[in-house]
Amino acid sequence: MVSTAILEKFRFNLPKGLARRVLPGFLTLIAMVMILLICGAMQPRIWSQNGLTLIMSPIVALAIASMAQMVMMSIGDIDLGIGFFVGMITTIVATLLRETPILGVLALAGSVLAYALLGALVQLRSVPSLIATLGASFVWLGMGLFVLPVPGGSAPDWLFAYAFWQPPLSIPAPLVTMVVATALTWFVTRRTALGVRFRSLGSNPVALMRSGGSLVVTRMLAYGTVGLLGVLAGITLTAEIGGGDVNAVPGYTLTTVAAVILGGGMFTGGRAVAWGTLAGAVTLGLLTVLLTLLSLSSNLQPAVQGFIVIGVLAGRLVVERMTR
Amino acid sequence: MIKLGNHAIPPWTWSFLSAVIVLVLTYMVSGRGGMQTITLAFTVAPYLVLVGLGQMLVMSAGPGNIDVSVAKVFSLGGLVAIAVGDVTGSWVLGLGAAVGAGLAMASISIIAILYVRIPPIVATLATSLIASAISLTLAKGFQGSADPLLKGFLSWAPFGIPAFAIVVLIFTILVSMTLKWTTWGSQMLAFGQARRAAEYAGVSAKKTMVIVYLTCGVLAALAGALRASFSAPNVELGNDYLLDSIAVVVIGGTLMTGGRAVPAGVWGGALFFILLDGLLNLIGWSFAGQNVLKGFLVLAVLFLAGGAPILRRRVPSSVTDAAKGEENAEPEIKTLT
Repeated sequence: MVSTAILEKFRFNLPKGLARRVLPGFLTLIAMVMILLICGAMQPRIWSQNGLTLIMSPIVALAIASMAQMVMMSIGDIDLGIGFFVGMITTIVATLLRETPILGVLALAGSVLAYALLGALVQLRSVPSLIATLGASFVWLGMGLFVLPVPGGSAPDWLFAYAFWQPPLSIPAPLVTMVVATALTWFVTRRTALGVRFRSLGSNPVALMRSGGSLVVTRMLAYGTVGLLGVLAGITLTAEIGGGDVNAVPGYTLTTVAAVILGGGMFTGGRAVAWGTLAGAVTLGLLTVLLTLLSLSSNLQPAVQGFIVIGVLAGRLVVERMTR
Repeated sequence: MIKLGNHAIPPWTWSFLSAVIVLVLTYMVSGRGGMQTITLAFTVAPYLVLVGLGQMLVMSAGPGNIDVSVAKVFSLGGLVAIAVGDVTGSWVLGLGAAVGAGLAMASISIIAILYVRIPPIVATLATSLIASAISLTLAKGFQGSADPLLKGFLSWAPFGIPAFAIVVLIFTILVSMTLKWTTWGSQMLAFGQARRAAEYAGVSAKKTMVIVYLTCGVLAALAGALRASFSAPNVELGNDYLLDSIAVVVIGGTLMTGGRAVPAGVWGGALFFILLDGLLNLIGWSFAGQNVLKGFLVLAVLFLAGGAPILRRRVPSSVTDAAKGEENAEPEIKTLT
């Protein structure tokens, strides 16, 4: 009897929190699979290692940048500078890291450190993260232009080797990168003490403080993690475009936010949804592929993307109402 | 834990102080004073102020409220105004069409926010994508130029003060008075401070949100129409206005968390940004250097002006503060965003 009571309790309690966290990402996953199936129906050649690699490789950097945004949003902040940050990293990778690896690594480490300092500014002066990262985005843009005034440079050789890497079992290489990056982010944010501190900073900073955690250190570590993921996104983007361009992906700033929201994240923080974010980023990336396959005028593509984002979120609202 | 000093200094002080410092620096570098710098700044600033005022209203309506579609709506407004003005031969109709375009775009945002319950940043992002698609389609083979009369007015500066700046200044004062002295203004700010409390007190959430977002859309489109009349319409005309509008609003002292709108500060922030661009051009800094310095200055202003009293009370942020005011350190009440 007792065990059934506990079971009853579990059945009642567990799904609610879990459903709220997982359901949005799951719905996005369904949307992603549907888009993939439609693409596959229209162009069967994408069902091959090369085909999948081709359509997925532009999404890798977006997925990792979305992970960065997800960590940022899990502490209740928003990063409006990630687009230019990733662009700046590509310029460093395509020039400094290729020519003088030691200097390049130092520059990349400096970028991560700069992010951590930004976190300290946000925390110590209670500055809104939105505006602090916005101010920083000017710095990233300027720095990127200093390094490479015009798009150019060349990816280091090892990065080219990665770009042409063909994993065994005809698994597409971009998929491997994305899944590994997501698994790492998931592990850090949901399975380590650090992740718990990140999330409690987002949901209940007072509790974090009373449990002996330092708000400044936690926020600096979180921002450092964001910077690290941003660096990874920049490196994979360099492999994709073969060079550096600070203006390569200014759109990431808002697309990553959309990816996190599609994946079930919240602006108020406290929720880390690595796998959902991956689904969100891939969905947004695949949309471009779908619209190209539909041979839609490239001018109309943004509008369709906008309507689909609204549509997916409207669908989620309906499903959430039904499950309630 | 509120310091008295925080109340004594008006929130827009910092932005004007920065603007004046940059102006003095400009004079020192160029080695001559004169009205020319000021006239130029006041010619360009009003467009940014118009967009900023809309953004300020949206941000004041509570945490999470932001309009990221202003840049694309700005460009769209410019293209629509010039196209309609060219076809009908009347710039008034052109501006009217731009206002209509702004209303239409803002309606998409507000419907998505209120009825689909999409967070504002994503809803306005979707709107911005839609607006950019319309702009790109319109711009294909676009021809047409602004009405000379309107163009003449926008660059008319009797006694070194552009007439258009005076118009926008009067509009700013009107916005300021609306916020301060009308019921709706108080309701909107109350809504921004504590959404639930305001709703219990009878403030209509729907009405407040609709008004702020529609106003923001209309102002962005109108500013774009005027800016396009001043120079030339372009799909990328508004691109700088997104980041700049958010930055000048916050530098001006408006709280990102909502509930405190500072229309005067928008002017300060806009003048600061525009004078700074002028100064850096004067020194001959590259675009790269300009951006780095602009970024560091924004961060420096944040560092100096950060920690606004309301923000500090709501978010227990720095350790010392929280330790001192443990009983004050309520967990931040976050409304649905």
